[in-house]
Amino acid sequence: MTRVLIVGNGVAGVTAARFLADGDPSHEIVIYGQEPYLYYARPRLIDYIEGTVPETKMALYGEDWYAQRGIRCELGRRVERIDREEHTIQLDDGETDRYDQLVLATGADSWVPPIPGRELGCVHTLRTMDDARAIADCARGCDQVVVIGGGLLGLDTAAALACCGPKVTVIEALPWLLPRQLDRQGAHLLTDMLAAKGIETLVDQQCDRLEGVAGVERVVLKSGKILSAQMVVVSTGVRSNTCLARDAGLLVEQGVVVDAAMRSSDPDIYAVGDVAQFDGRVWAIIPVAIAQARVAAAQINGDRTKRYEPLVPSTTLQVSGIDLTSIGQVHPEGDELTVRKANSDQGRYTKLVIDKGRIIGAIVLGDRKMARDVSRLVSAKVDVGAHSDQLLDEGFAITSLLG
Amino acid sequence: MKYECLVCGWIYDPKVGDPDGDIAPGTAWADIPDDWVCPECGAGKDMFEAVSE
Repeated sequence: MTRVLIVGNGVAGVTAARFLADGDPSHEIVIYGQEPYLYYARPRLIDYIEGTVPETKMALYGEDWYAQRGIRCELGRRVERIDREEHTIQLDDGETDRYDQLVLATGADSWVPPIPGRELGCVHTLRTMDDARAIADCARGCDQVVVIGGGLLGLDTAAALACCGPKVTVIEALPWLLPRQLDRQGAHLLTDMLAAKGIETLVDQQCDRLEGVAGVERVVLKSGKILSAQMVVVSTGVRSNTCLARDAGLLVEQGVVVDAAMRSSDPDIYAVGDVAQFDGRVWAIIPVAIAQARVAAAQINGDRTKRYEPLVPSTTLQVSGIDLTSIGQVHPEGDELTVRKANSDQGRYTKLVIDKGRIIGAIVLGDRKMARDVSRLVSAKVDVGAHSDQLLDEGFAITSLLG
Repeated sequence: MKYECLVCGWIYDPKVGDPDGDIAPGTAWADIPDDWVCPECGAGKDMFEAVSE
């Protein structure tokens, strides 16, 4: 019987617990979650802010889900320290617990750049249920909201807030929206679509400072432009929660460094999800967290052949009425082949980046079916080389290449 | 019977199917291919569980 402790009750932690329990019901599994809530899906926080999912519907796994699998879930408890010598963890109330195998799934926290005024009231970030509640409460009394950061989460949040009434402005420091997921042409279309929803976007603009007395009142940009705002949401990325691992002396860079078995520099400690750094990168996206959690579970269950195979990352914007999927490497770096099709009137844009016959990157805007088809071609690593010039032709069924 | 994605909360309703994912309306859960993924978050079929409504 193996005693496995999991630190973190997010998607990485619960997925690891699930596959550990499914693979070997004899394990003793305990999850320690810092937040006082049963597992909920973070993407749903956007729906909660928008008002389409009530708080009572947020938990996806009820207490019975954990109980049926013999998983004990300790919520609202913070793990303070790991004693690797003794194979124990220490909690914030001083209690200790022993492990045979430890899984770190501590996730990441919002990162806020050192903008003067960021400590003012009504300046928020979005990561947790408590954050979402604070934002939703604050939004009720607002006429104007500024979102700092035009990445996926920033735009999702902006669109959800615009549904609640206030006028929303998004500021992005780089020359176009979603710089990691979109090219200039796609971003141009997206900007128009957002404008049609009443969301103003300002690119190539940096925030100089936030001003106000108790709560924020104004956002001052480096260009000198001043925006009134009764709430600011800062969405400028995340940083892995590595303190616990660092204090325990594990190898940590941006995240906890792991091998393809998801093992850290201590063979009895695994790291998965947003806290894990594999092959020099922390992806901090859900599909990666799930894949990594499954590997760690399989390894602990004795399947030493199961390795993490890097995924081609795929992300989707959650703004209703705007279907945007971005896959892999959308900016060609060398002699990759790029295929494009655009129809601005219909709000459609598709771009494929093809390297040695394989699609390694794609932007699909305004076409859900195409987005799904392209995802399948990418996952199956289909060689499209012979058809690259006709892939986006009207009437060409790209799924026929799946075989 | 409907099935819920335990990662993002998306619900598969056999009456609706998933036309964008080439799953025709009326397709039973058991008949969906194993390489099918959640249209919302990309999670695999084994991340779904039956929900009673």
